[in-house]
Amino acid sequence: MTAEIKPIHQNGMVDVQNVRKIYRRDSQEITVLNGIDAQVAEGGFFALMGPSGSGKTTLLNLIAGIDRPTSGKVFVAGTDVSQLSEGRLAGWRSVNIGFIFQFYNLIPVLTATENVQLPLLLTRLSKKERRERALMALNIVGLTDRADHYPRQLSGGQEQRVAIARAIVTDPKVLVADEPTGDLDSKSAHEILDLFDALNNDLKKTIVMVTHDPRAAARAKICRHLDKGVMIDSEERELKDGVR
Amino acid sequence: MKFLPLILKHLRHSWIRTTSTILAIVACIFLFCTLQTILVAIDWGLHINNSTRLVVRNGVSLMYYVPITYKEKIRTIPGVKRVSTFNWLLGFFGSDTNPDWTKFFPNHAVDSEEYLAMYPEYILSAAEKQAFLEDRRGCIVGPDTAKKYNWKIGDIFQLRSQIFPEAGPFEFVIEGIYKVDNALYPGTHSGMMLFHYKYLDDAVHGNAQANTLVVEIENPARAGDIAKAIDQMFENSDRPTHTETENAFRAGFISMAGNLTLLLRTIGMAVIFTILLATANTMSMAVRERRKEIAILKTLGFGSGLVMALILIEALFLGASGGALGILLGQMTIKALPNFPMIGDALRQYPNPGLSLAVGAAGIGMAMLMGLAAGFVPALTAYRSRITDMLRTI
Ligand SMILES: Nc1ncnc2c1ncn2[C@@H]1O[C@H](COP(=O)(O)OP(=O)(O)OP(=O)(O)O)[C@@H](O)[C@H]1O
Ligand SMILES: [Mg+2]
Repeated sequence: MTAEIKPIHQNGMVDVQNVRKIYRRDSQEITVLNGIDAQVAEGGFFALMGPSGSGKTTLLNLIAGIDRPTSGKVFVAGTDVSQLSEGRLAGWRSVNIGFIFQFYNLIPVLTATENVQLPLLLTRLSKKERRERALMALNIVGLTDRADHYPRQLSGGQEQRVAIARAIVTDPKVLVADEPTGDLDSKSAHEILDLFDALNNDLKKTIVMVTHDPRAAARAKICRHLDKGVMIDSEERELKDGVR
Repeated sequence: MKFLPLILKHLRHSWIRTTSTILAIVACIFLFCTLQTILVAIDWGLHINNSTRLVVRNGVSLMYYVPITYKEKIRTIPGVKRVSTFNWLLGFFGSDTNPDWTKFFPNHAVDSEEYLAMYPEYILSAAEKQAFLEDRRGCIVGPDTAKKYNWKIGDIFQLRSQIFPEAGPFEFVIEGIYKVDNALYPGTHSGMMLFHYKYLDDAVHGNAQANTLVVEIENPARAGDIAKAIDQMFENSDRPTHTETENAFRAGFISMAGNLTLLLRTIGMAVIFTILLATANTMSMAVRERRKEIAILKTLGFGSGLVMALILIEALFLGASGGALGILLGQMTIKALPNFPMIGDALRQYPNPGLSLAVGAAGIGMAMLMGLAAGFVPALTAYRSRITDMLRTI
């Protein structure tokens, strides 16, 4: 046993190694993830599909560092997330991860810019810098004109774009999205996916996205399927060209 | 504090809840301050009672005098230790036609030697006491009065008398400024002026008589017997007396007030406790509604401690503003209390009207505690809850 934990096998930006996640409820054990291996290269766009209850959100949460595996390793951006304490994990998330939820999860009492500024409250930026950065992020998602609107004054697609602005405002390396288009009509979904493409291609964000929607998955460079806690694709299928 | 806008926005967003919570705390602190002040005043009233002293007054009314000859007669009753006259001068500054009552302080003519012996609470040095007793025009004043008029020993002042308007003005020389020791003799009046009965009696050509006679007895347990003996002695005279322990009114008041304070305290505590519960409940409802937000903040990287602190600060803010308003309201009410019937009578003689620093501080402390108590459970819940569980149950 060495005190130092080296990411010896780390491959790419996200490297999930033989991860198991077991929930214990009373005396019952539920194995939600049963030996998962997955890699996402830097600048990759990874889509995760699978039936409801297959463990997609669970895996995503492990990658985002809001949960820890029962066994196995999760390397993200060079850090073994599974080894960090809860307190360190919070700080790590604020710098490295942008999280996008299905239901946007904006804070209703805050305006768009204020929502986007939230993660910046944890940095040392001045008030002015925070606002500037937030406006920059809103500019990227094309919502500068809605900066001072409250979430209830925005459409679903707009809310999700604000949420994306919030996810990218700290300039994290990895974006993690759980069914980001699940609650949107197809036009808005299309716009959001275009945005993901742009973030991936232009800003070189590594994206891990859970989705039920084949059209969303088709945007990704890699798509894998999860079922009953195991990856069912034997090999990674490159979707870059052709299949779309 | 860059998180402040976040907190304020929440308070503003749910302004109905914010206002009602603050109002509840205001009511609570207001109640506490006012009750506590009244209780302290009543307590004070009870403490200055001394049952080794009796007061003899005219049987008909305080408006009539007691013949001065009664003094010697009472002295013969077994168990009586000392007797002193106690007369009002109702002396005032200003002229007869234009008295200045705003500068009034109680001034009494007493048989100085006996009276000082009976009232050890007016503490004088041996030298002061001797100088006072030797000076016909001498008087002693309380520290508050001396301070108010910037008097020192040897100063001379004049008063005219409401009771003997034709006899004034009376000139007095300050021979002593008595000290009070509230630990030893709680509730001692610190603004009294005492002078020699002889001086008054001479000035009115032997017609001063006695407003009341104070009688010191050997054994407080015999207060009732002796009071009865005194009254029986003059029963068949043309000026019967009425004798009671120094403020028998208060003596009767003690048992009643004892129950009253208990009752007030109990009601007060019950109300405060109820409001506390209600506040805690509102707070935890507020936080339950915000489970989602707590999960979001934590996901974004806000540490558990920070999220907990934000909730506590919000609760503390409610507590502090409620407390401040409550104290303000209490202060105003307490200032106005002496003008109310009944309560006013009990409070008017209390020398320190207004909200005391101690009660005020206790009030603020209590408000903050209420805020903390109300915010504690929700904050702890937020601290402990796991993001994944919260996201799942949204
Ligand atoms: N905290 C928990 N305690 C017990 N069981 C849990 C817990 N979290 C998740 N599970 C179980 O793990 C399994 C996988 O859940 P998960 O949310 O990862 O599924 P999912 O693939 O995201 O499904 P969906 O497509 O419906 O979102 C489910 O059966 C769920 O009940
Ligand atoms: Mg899910």
